[in-house]
Amino acid sequence: MPDPVVTKELTKVYKEGKIEVTALKSTNLILEKGVVVGLFGPSGSGKTTLLSMLGCILRPTSGSLNIFGNEVCGLAEEDLPRIRREFISFIFQGFNLFPALTAYENVILGLKMKGIVGEDADKRACYMLSEVGLKERMHFLPRDVSGGQRQRIAVARALAADSPIILADEPTGNLDQSNGRKVMELLKHMAASQRRCIVVATHDNRIMDLIDRVLYMEDGSIRQEKRS
Amino acid sequence: MFYVALRIILYDKVRSLITLLGVVFAVSLIFNQVGIFLGLMETSSVIIDHTPGDIWVTAKNNKNFDYSLPFPEYFYNHTISDPDIQSADKLIVAWGVIRQLEGGNEQLEIIGFNTDTGVGGPWEMMEGSPRDLKNGNFAIVDESAMKRLGRIQVGDYRDVLSRRVKIVGISRGVKSFTTAPIMFTSYELAQHLVSYVGSQSTVFIVAKVKPGVRPETVAERLGKRLKGVDVYTASDFSMKTRMYWAIETGVGFSFMLTIVISFLVGMLIVGQTIYNSTMEHIKEFGTLKALGASNMDIYKIIFSQAMINAMTGYIVSLIITIASVKIYELGAMVMVVEWWINLMVLGLTLVMCMAAAFVSVRRIKSIDPAILFRG
Ligand SMILES: Nc1ncnc2c1ncn2[C@@H]1O[C@H](COP(=O)(O)OP(=O)(O)OP(=O)(O)O)[C@@H](O)[C@H]1O
Ligand SMILES: [Mg+2]
Repeated sequence: MPDPVVTKELTKVYKEGKIEVTALKSTNLILEKGVVVGLFGPSGSGKTTLLSMLGCILRPTSGSLNIFGNEVCGLAEEDLPRIRREFISFIFQGFNLFPALTAYENVILGLKMKGIVGEDADKRACYMLSEVGLKERMHFLPRDVSGGQRQRIAVARALAADSPIILADEPTGNLDQSNGRKVMELLKHMAASQRRCIVVATHDNRIMDLIDRVLYMEDGSIRQEKRS
Repeated sequence: MFYVALRIILYDKVRSLITLLGVVFAVSLIFNQVGIFLGLMETSSVIIDHTPGDIWVTAKNNKNFDYSLPFPEYFYNHTISDPDIQSADKLIVAWGVIRQLEGGNEQLEIIGFNTDTGVGGPWEMMEGSPRDLKNGNFAIVDESAMKRLGRIQVGDYRDVLSRRVKIVGISRGVKSFTTAPIMFTSYELAQHLVSYVGSQSTVFIVAKVKPGVRPETVAERLGKRLKGVDVYTASDFSMKTRMYWAIETGVGFSFMLTIVISFLVGMLIVGQTIYNSTMEHIKEFGTLKALGASNMDIYKIIFSQAMINAMTGYIVSLIITIASVKIYELGAMVMVVEWWINLMVLGLTLVMCMAAAFVSVRRIKSIDPAILFRG
């Protein structure tokens, strides 16, 4: 079984007119199952850029990216949704939930994007929402629950489909300490029990203890690595 | 995806209501314009279309039903002598003046027809009968003329041109594009009344072909044989009259323009609201893409929104339109509502809303991942 993520000399250069910004410099990385990886580093160090490329929503400038044995860089734009559908889920700082849909419906829609529908989707949504502690609020609209609960809906959406890779950008950025911790604990629990590969880009040092492998980024490169 | 679109629409009630109003405004206007226009067209050829006859002989270069010049009556014999013609009647359509009871004059369209066959005469009577016109200075006026001429009752006398005529009947549904009041008389009386027609002339010859003969063939042959007149099939003459009023008066163009403008206004309103809604949901749509949705999945949501806007707007407009047919009838106007018009407007509405959605679709195509990550 290949590793979830293998990158070789992965590089991203943003071009804005004549100015070129190298947001990620020749990065080599292997990510394993069952591990929570934390991307730390100052603002502008390239955390989001790396995460976007791992999630196949941003095209690398050069280098290679391999997801469970699939070489992604050579794929056409039309082929990327298939990779994302099969392997990847996201959690965002801003939750990105449909305000018009209930917690349950948001999760169901996420599942639908993964090709999971009907009874199976219903079962998974109910299970996941109770896992994140929202059993009672399943049929609430996002505006009717707290920020922490909203992020937990997003977590449920990301986790419901068994995607082996979960990418989270500042998942605790809009949450207070205790809610942030709860979300991280949930992710860690998932990583351990379901052997998923979880990558969290964050500034939040308070959750450092819940991270298995810390990658410290600076200026588009990984400068330090620490495993606990 | 349809469900998601529906939920988005139901969630943002104010925006959806504005969109609905916009669509209803545009579509009702289109319905109205198409209906009134076709009503006018129908009116303009209503007499031709109700006259039993396959072939119309008219003066040379004659442009329409209402303004037709006389030609010699002997063409009647030329027409009736054609082996494929079964019967023929002369018909006068001419302009005269009627004296109002309270003084003043009103222009009026006089139709003189053969009272024995009734060809070219009224087809629906409220009072009296076309046969009552025989042998005397008798006339039938149409109900629709009352607005211009004041209350007219059977038994009244009115001064028409040089003569005093007695009203012997009231017809219904006879109108003209010119909106002039219409009066029926016998062929002979019309000839006497309208001096510019003259005693040896007619304005039309309306003929029937024998069973199994194509009117087109006969019209073509007669047209070649009879010099100095034009020969049409009834449907061609009807169309020619409609086209004259639609095109030569610019009426068709102005209706068309209103329809195009309504269409564009509707498209703008729908396009605007769908675009705003899409931009507001761009993060969510982007998230769906990140989870594996193809562009097509998201297009479906956007097009479903457009579709819902179109259908609700259309249905409300249709109801309004059907209700307003009655109101138009009160004003003696005809608005045509038929299944094929409804279908056409439905198509137009769908095209309008779908086209409006295309602007939004283009935004989905290349979602910048940066959008997703902004807190
Ligand atoms: N779309 C873009 N176009 C041009 N430059 C970009 C773009 N996105 C990011 N950059 C630049 O790339 C570099 C890395 O940005 P990135 O967003 O990956 O940093 P980050 O570590 O996520 O920062 P933060 O902690 O503030 O989220 C920065 O210098 C940024 O200005
Ligand atoms: Mg970032």
